[in-house]
Amino acid sequence: MGRSALMGKLVKAEFRKILSTKLWWGLLIVALLVAGSWAGMLSSVFDGIAAELSGSEVMRLAGLELDEISFSVVFLTRAINIATIFPMLFGGLAIASELGRKTITTSFLTAPNRTMLLGAKGITYAIWGAIYGIAIILAATLGIVIGTGGDHLVGFTTWLATAAAGVLSCVLWTLLGLGVGALIGSPVGTVIVLLVYGLALGPISDLVFTGFAEGDANVAGALPNGAANGLTGSTAADTLAAEIQANATGMSSVSSDLLEGFQDTARLAAGGLGSFGLFASAAIFLAWAMLFLALGLWRTQSRDIT
Amino acid sequence: MHDGSGRIEVRQLSKNFGSVQAVANLSFTVEPGSVTGFLGPNGAGKTTTLRMILGLVTPSEGTATINGLPHDKLGHPARVVGSVLENEGFHPKRTARNHLKVYAAAIGVPDRRVEDVLAAVGLTEAGDRHAGGFSLGMRQRLALATALLGDPQVLVLDEPANGLDPEGIAWLRTFLRDFAKQGRTVLVSSHLLAEVEQTIDQVVIISHGQTMYYGQLDDLRNAQRPRVLVLPSNQDALSTALREEQISEIEPADNGRLAVMNTSARQVGDIALRAGVAIYGLEERHADLENLFFQLTSGQYAAAAPQQYGAPHGMPYGTQPSAPYGAPPGAPYEAPPGTPYGPPPGTPYGAPPHGGYGPPQDGWSQQGTVPQPQGQQPYQQDEGNTGWEGQR
Ligand SMILES: Nc1ncnc2c1ncn2[C@@H]1O[C@H](COP(=O)(O)OP(=O)(O)OP(=O)(O)O)[C@@H](O)[C@H]1O
Ligand SMILES: [Mg+2]
Repeated sequence: MGRSALMGKLVKAEFRKILSTKLWWGLLIVALLVAGSWAGMLSSVFDGIAAELSGSEVMRLAGLELDEISFSVVFLTRAINIATIFPMLFGGLAIASELGRKTITTSFLTAPNRTMLLGAKGITYAIWGAIYGIAIILAATLGIVIGTGGDHLVGFTTWLATAAAGVLSCVLWTLLGLGVGALIGSPVGTVIVLLVYGLALGPISDLVFTGFAEGDANVAGALPNGAANGLTGSTAADTLAAEIQANATGMSSVSSDLLEGFQDTARLAAGGLGSFGLFASAAIFLAWAMLFLALGLWRTQSRDIT
Repeated sequence: MHDGSGRIEVRQLSKNFGSVQAVANLSFTVEPGSVTGFLGPNGAGKTTTLRMILGLVTPSEGTATINGLPHDKLGHPARVVGSVLENEGFHPKRTARNHLKVYAAAIGVPDRRVEDVLAAVGLTEAGDRHAGGFSLGMRQRLALATALLGDPQVLVLDEPANGLDPEGIAWLRTFLRDFAKQGRTVLVSSHLLAEVEQTIDQVVIISHGQTMYYGQLDDLRNAQRPRVLVLPSNQDALSTALREEQISEIEPADNGRLAVMNTSARQVGDIALRAGVAIYGLEERHADLENLFFQLTSGQYAAAAPQQYGAPHGMPYGTQPSAPYGAPPGAPYEAPPGTPYGPPPGTPYGAPPHGGYGPPQDGWSQQGTVPQPQGQQPYQQDEGNTGWEGQR
């Protein structure tokens, strides 16, 4: 039997593990509520936040009205950024809870080896990360529709690009969580570490570093949380800039300096503090996720199950 | 590719947990077609050894192989070896049936196999209940069902009788014997020789991580000398009288009794009469394996320990001050010969009153296995074959 057939069996087993208990939808429901209500809350105070962006020089020069640009996309990214906590926790518990409940014994005994089991978990949880991502984006979008009363919707291209970035972010957070959980081993420890980083340490350090750097790209953008937010934030900023360029009527083309300045502002508004831009952020976050996965694999290999 | 022999080989295996040496230079081979008992007192290193065989614990030194390969090289490990381990985990909120379906998928056997193994261990009715609500015995049955999913050639069981009711224990014993008769391999650990005495052919006895005895159980039985257990009115007077008759191998036994070697009940009775010592109990014991087991597993202390002549009433024989735990008073030494499978004292697990799960069905053999001729059948397994179906 080929390796991929064996892997397929292990992935099927992982899906059965997930679907035969309630964790997946418990976390999913909360993720949807958080994403939806966060997007709804932010966008209901739309004017305050959007005014900052729309009042910018470039909008005036481009002769654009607020409604013509999909500013609401920043609510989408912020809702995604906060809701990624849940797929991250879901991934974190993948191995940690098996270690905690000792079901890992049977999982190891029925898999050809530990590397393949972890590979199957990686594939399975990447898929689940995407499922969470799609659900979160739909909930956040619904939140925006309700929050803005349908007045300030996001243009389809901008929405699609940001949604794709959001799904990728969820997948990578899930895998990063998976690695951290495998590394730490205890479910409680994993949840605490992930929550403390995702809710406090990450955002606060991003603010502090970005404060020192006066808003420029900085070390925050190289850390997992900053890179993840940079991935979604930059996507939103880039697509907004593209919208402005495409719709500019006030002048033949918007100067690139101005546009860049706008992108920085938009990225900040979208939550991407200290980011190095879309592709750099994606690469950095991918590298973090892979690093933790590798550490988790290494720890899993050497673990004695007694 | 593994050699299909069904042989478990342990070679110079050692394991240290920090400063604790759990297993020290252990070597033995478990042959197919027989049930091998793996015996040793608490903390002897049984669980650690079995987990090294199964690739769950990495040895500090040495190797453990099944079919000539370490566990992680077997390819389809669950079709080669099934196991029941101590404190094995089940997700408390997952039903027994779903638990088995998860691992049926991982192993690559069809879902109907789940029903087969549930029936085999008598859990069909309880299949849709959460494993978290199972009794110890039911969990043990579920663990056994999981072990059987891949229709393995080798079974490794760590104290499988724990928590099983007498009916379950009797069933397990028959099951293991039949399993071995088909030319498959069984390695079963226990800290009670009496518990497995009637099941096993071969025995590996370990103590403090080292092999104390390894061979046929019958050889061990034949090596055992008869002993006389006597309850005298005065231990000192009787032992003095015995020594005067050149009977000097006397040891304190439980409940104020003396164990006297190389003699007969009649001789002891006569000597006691002459010495004017009253006898309240007199019993001759042959081939008391449990006793030999004690000697083997705690004998290393016997020389150093002070003679426990006239030890406090009820001090179990063989309990040494330096042993990490004293055997519980009266057990297992007390077990009368011939009732090796009495439920462990205090085992509270009977069948649930509402009959939540039925007795194990004999269906296991009906569902899978043509009655095998007596004697050993060589085991053959084709690659990709789900196991025994090909031979049925
Ligand atoms: N994870 C661990 N960390 C530290 N020491 C351990 C660990 N696992 C086992 N040990 C030690 O190794 C020794 C052997 O333990 P093991 O569980 O193998 O014994 P056992 O023969 O199975 O005993 P029992 O009959 O009680 O099940 C013991 O001294 C135990 O304390
Ligand atoms: Mg043990």
